Amino acid sequence: MHDIIHQLDEKRERARLGGGPKRIEAQHSKGKLTARERLELLLDPGTFEEWDMFKEHRCVDFGMDAQRVPGDGVVTGYGTINGRMVFVFSQDFTVFGGALSEAHAEKICKVMDKAMQVGAPVIGLNDSGGARIQEGVAALGGYADVFQKNVLASGVVPQISMIMGPCAGGAVYSPAMTDFIFMVKDSSYMFVTGPDVVKTVTHEEVTAEELGGAVTHTSKSGVADLAFDNDVEALLMLRRFVNYLPLNNREKPPLRPTSDPAERLDFSLDTLVPDNANKPYDIKELIIKMVDDADFFEIQPDHAKNIVVGFARMEGETVGIVANQPMVLAGCLDIKSSIKAGRFVRFCDAFNIPIITLVDVPGFMPGTSQEYGGIIKHGAKLLYAYAECTVPKITLITRKAYGGAYDVMASKHLRGDVNFAWPSAEIAVMGPKGAVEIIFREDKGDPAKLAAKEAEYKAKFANPFVAGARGFIDDVIQPHETRKRICRSLVMLRNKKLENPWRKHGNIPL
Amino acid sequence: MFKKILIANRGEIACRVIKTARKMGIKTVAVYSEVDKDAMHVELADEAVCIGPAASKESYLVADKIIAACKQTGAEAVHPGYGFLSENEAFSRRLEEEGIIFIGPKHHAIAAMGDKIASKKLALAAKVNTIPGYNEAIDTPDQAVGIAKGIGYPVMIKASAGGGGKGLRVAYNDKEAHEGFASCKNEAKNAFGDDRVFIEKFVEEPRHIEIQLIGDGHGNVVYLWERECSIQRRHQKVIEEAPSPFLDDKTRRAMGEQAVALAKAVKYQSAGTVEFVVGGKDKAFYFLEMNTRLQVEHPVTECITGLDLVELMIRVAAGEKLPFTQDQVKRDGWAMECRINAEDPFRNFLPSTGRLVKYLPPTTNMEAAGSVPAGGGVRVDTGVYEGGEISMFYDSMIAKLIVHAPTRDQAIARMREALNAFVIRGVGSNIAFQAALMQNPRFINGNFNTGLIGEEYPKGFNAADVVHDDPAMLVCVAAAVHRQYLERNTQISGQMPGHGFKPCADLVVVMGDAHHPVTLTAAAGGWDVAFSGEICTVRSDWQFGQTLYRGSFNGEPFCMQVERRGLKYRLFHWGTQADVLVMNRAAAALQKLMPHKAPPDMSRFLLSPMPGLLSEIAVTEGQEVKAGETLAKIEAMKMENVLKAERDCVVDKLLAKPGESLAVDQPIIGFR
Repeated sequence: MHDIIHQLDEKRERARLGGGPKRIEAQHSKGKLTARERLELLLDPGTFEEWDMFKEHRCVDFGMDAQRVPGDGVVTGYGTINGRMVFVFSQDFTVFGGALSEAHAEKICKVMDKAMQVGAPVIGLNDSGGARIQEGVAALGGYADVFQKNVLASGVVPQISMIMGPCAGGAVYSPAMTDFIFMVKDSSYMFVTGPDVVKTVTHEEVTAEELGGAVTHTSKSGVADLAFDNDVEALLMLRRFVNYLPLNNREKPPLRPTSDPAERLDFSLDTLVPDNANKPYDIKELIIKMVDDADFFEIQPDHAKNIVVGFARMEGETVGIVANQPMVLAGCLDIKSSIKAGRFVRFCDAFNIPIITLVDVPGFMPGTSQEYGGIIKHGAKLLYAYAECTVPKITLITRKAYGGAYDVMASKHLRGDVNFAWPSAEIAVMGPKGAVEIIFREDKGDPAKLAAKEAEYKAKFANPFVAGARGFIDDVIQPHETRKRICRSLVMLRNKKLENPWRKHGNIPL
Repeated sequence: MFKKILIANRGEIACRVIKTARKMGIKTVAVYSEVDKDAMHVELADEAVCIGPAASKESYLVADKIIAACKQTGAEAVHPGYGFLSENEAFSRRLEEEGIIFIGPKHHAIAAMGDKIASKKLALAAKVNTIPGYNEAIDTPDQAVGIAKGIGYPVMIKASAGGGGKGLRVAYNDKEAHEGFASCKNEAKNAFGDDRVFIEKFVEEPRHIEIQLIGDGHGNVVYLWERECSIQRRHQKVIEEAPSPFLDDKTRRAMGEQAVALAKAVKYQSAGTVEFVVGGKDKAFYFLEMNTRLQVEHPVTECITGLDLVELMIRVAAGEKLPFTQDQVKRDGWAMECRINAEDPFRNFLPSTGRLVKYLPPTTNMEAAGSVPAGGGVRVDTGVYEGGEISMFYDSMIAKLIVHAPTRDQAIARMREALNAFVIRGVGSNIAFQAALMQNPRFINGNFNTGLIGEEYPKGFNAADVVHDDPAMLVCVAAAVHRQYLERNTQISGQMPGHGFKPCADLVVVMGDAHHPVTLTAAAGGWDVAFSGEICTVRSDWQFGQTLYRGSFNGEPFCMQVERRGLKYRLFHWGTQADVLVMNRAAAALQKLMPHKAPPDMSRFLLSPMPGLLSEIAVTEGQEVKAGETLAKIEAMKMENVLKAERDCVVDKLLAKPGESLAVDQPIIGFR
């Protein structure tokens, strides 16, 4: 018996070494940690329960039968993050370059299946050279199996991808279907085709970093949500991120007690909105002063900056925040910002996270590039997302809410539960100047008359009371009492029940 | 006594005057420009009158508008504060003609002291020491040597048209005077086309020390001791204190008596200040000029004398007699004032404007117009509030931080603590610089002169200039803060029953490249931190999200500013800013494997110096640009700021588009 126990220890020791000390050193020299070191950082110490440590591939071609490494290039199992269960897979670049085989895919699918059954998030740490070519179509089948699981798990348990090395070709589509993609700067990249193919086909010269690095995807493409400086920062921040999420779609968002009083007033908010309607202000100041402990976890901070999205807590309960940012493009909605916010709203709705929408939007962005790019369909995504959403929705209009963009931004008409406005709010079809130029088109040559009419329009419509009179606004509140009023509304809505009619699925304008 | 007065000023000094008036039961009228409509002084006053647009010359400097405001509100007198119309003879005269009382000296005194030559002549006549010199042009080197000998070395030889250090020589003996005269004359001719040269006494290691005085309409003038204002940056006072650590009683009295003599010579009746330059080697003092107004730094005098200068000004203006005589003037303890300015000390003190996102002054127990507590205290004079705006139209002072304590060392200690607790965000402030000065050895031992800042920070002020003298404190506080966050994570809902999160006691604090292992043990009200063989105690009732971490470290009370920025904690204490990581042992071991990433080289980029709107890019990609040519224009605070090439360069890439909103330090153009 003793021998057998000893054998087990030896086998484990062998498996833990992955691709061996040389490859581990090579991994470290690239500033990357090994698959197991990463899990050590991500999970609470000593909580990782590993599965399939001894699983091996079944390929016999091209000399693969001689190369078998227990675990087959991916470490899988479950553990806890701050005591809360998560399932994980961590690809091991030191074993066959982390290439995905049939067996490797089976391991991933196994944890995903179990995660869905028990209701716990799946976190993938991706570091893989791609499909294991020696296996041919078996590896491709493995990818498709993972894709299918990703789709079935979507909206059931949160899925998070952390890209910590290469992720190219078909492999990108698994992370692409997860809820959030995080990347590590300088050591990770994602693209469908690499720089060499790009050069052959389009004659563009581009580095892997420029084509699909963390900065590219978090600022230009919006494919990834956050970029981190290194593996340690990435994984420790991922721990913090998971704190905001419910474990599955049957759960309420997590609660964490706070000492920040719900009744806290902040009088500096009374001067946040400048007198001049064209002067920008930073909406993040409102977010930070409104939420618990000034703690805001922003998603996609460098992409489509004209809208701000992220997680925070109110009285300890996770909330999703969507806010127009007047500092960038005057906060108007365009293709990128509609997609960014639309996807975020749908995530919150899928996982029962209440949404606070802060509105200061002059409208949709005009221009050929927007129209040719399909702003109609893309803007509709955000509209669809808000309209479909059944979680508590609280909306606060701080300043402009013009035109169709007013309707889109979680208005009363889209089943907003509590719609507030600050006294500085202007809810109208458009700004006074534009409105007067259309209504009094024949007076184009009479600037004095136009100015007078503009003042009249402004006095009449550039306030929250017209909308209030129709019940589109539930109350006009003082900026300093924003936190208190929203906290109360959220508590009032904690047991909200609202269901959409049965259907196979809606048809969001993709 | 007046029933209602108008304050022809804004900001902290207007608030300061209003407080005294209120104490005296006098109604107040504020005036304000359009951008100041929500300012604190408007809020504090009983009435307020708008006097025009933001620009001072269209509002605060327009005498007619102030007089109209007086008439409109029935104000009987005007307090001008400092700056603006405070030393304007014509304004004082106009008020007199209109039958409104000017709370300040009579216009003849303003006029007499406003003129440099006239005031010097008056001073000479009143037997006030003036800088010995020869004010006629000198022709030959020999003549120069003769004059220099008569004055006494060292002497300063300076060009009549000189300025900015040009055409200036210092001579310590005949030979140097001879040579200096020739080269100075030559340089003056080349540089200014005017070779007239003068000689005057060169004051070595000069200190700026001024005498506060007050006179009434009955011929009484008393001096209220001195203020040391030698800590200056580019002739702007930074720190003022009273008394001076340099003067002995004899010199102090001699200066006071001369100041009184000068004031009496012009029948001075209000608060005023006589500025002297004092030789750091020989304590010889010479008259510079007289300021015929209340000074910014008047609170330090109020602290040591227990007097309310504004009240005295109002009383004498109303015709009352001074309620005390010279020998009744107290001199208690030590007072110091730091000017807290909206400027970025790490960017060569570039003025910073914008919204005060956070403004939390230290706890105070002294008030302007209030009594001075026994044992001293902390006072903040300000005209701003959280959420207010630091406007580009006026001076950049946010507040004056004043402390009073029994001794100078105690005053410094109190100031350092107060600076720790001063939270300003949204606009830059010079707090780190003030904190650095407060621990400068020359400042601490009082051995300084007006050149201190230039000598101590010859290359400007850098974060590396402030070294924390107790790094253990930063380590332990960071560990305690982190541990508190870990502790909170045990309370998140949804944990595996029976397998919940257990925070780790062994942590590593990473500061720069240094890894400091610590072990924390919970104690009542805080943590015991085992660090480098010792147990340090950290006690605090700090709550998440608070910037101020108040508590005690090894039993000593302290206050530190803590911000969580991503994974890092940013600590501010005693002028030091430290970015610190805290993690468990295993994570720290892995952290050591992480590559060092050099910050990107930004010298090849044009960075936005301020937040604003990019209104124009004046170059195209591939264009060669000569030094001095315009690269781009940024609109910020309604002002156009032109960014010019610092050297010849070739434009590589345009990184921002016109119309785009820029953040500070955002790259606009990349160069090859």
